[in-house]
Amino acid sequence: MECRMKKQLTITTETINETDLIATRTMSVGMGAVVSFLGVVRGIEEGKAISAIDYEAFEKMAQHQFNLLFEEMAKRWPIESVRLVHRIGVVKINEPSLWVEIVTPHRGEAFAACQWLIDEMKRVVPIWKKTID
Amino acid sequence: MLVTVHFYSYFRELTGCGEINETLHSGDTLGVLHDQLMARFPRLVTMRKSTLLAVGVEYQTRDYVLRDGDEVSLFPPVQGG
Repeated sequence: MECRMKKQLTITTETINETDLIATRTMSVGMGAVVSFLGVVRGIEEGKAISAIDYEAFEKMAQHQFNLLFEEMAKRWPIESVRLVHRIGVVKINEPSLWVEIVTPHRGEAFAACQWLIDEMKRVVPIWKKTID
Repeated sequence: MLVTVHFYSYFRELTGCGEINETLHSGDTLGVLHDQLMARFPRLVTMRKSTLLAVGVEYQTRDYVLRDGDEVSLFPPVQGG
């Protein structure tokens, strides 16, 4: 199960283009669920208006930690494909900073895997944010 | 022995630098290095309990024995997403 899972990780300063990402989705005939998540920069952080968030990554370690999480996901759920894009650098409010897509046979494992991946990312992947007024 | 230490996020502001070289004794642990860094940069002390420690691209605990040439990173809790 785990060796078949396709993984695509992108850490980029470029804008996340969800339309392009969806257009490049591939699914085999046995797959019945796609869960995708778009994280967007809010205009309010801790009660204060902001204009953007500046994301910083320790990129080499972030890539390694994401890959460890992908390996663990492959052990836990029958995932055909996981794709994740994380913006770094300055991301303005209302712009996406994170996009995740999970393809599985059934919706339950897709929702669970997506939730788990984002929770774990927030625990171990070395990316930080600094708000800009 | 000599190790390189990298500071990320607001730890750069707390220390005033992004990277330093630190001399240690053979057999010293990551905990010894962390204590040495907090003595040199007292503003790190307030973050003592929440500081994350890595060697290379792996998280390590304070009892990890360092080797000459190790690349160590210190940073605050992560906030991706």
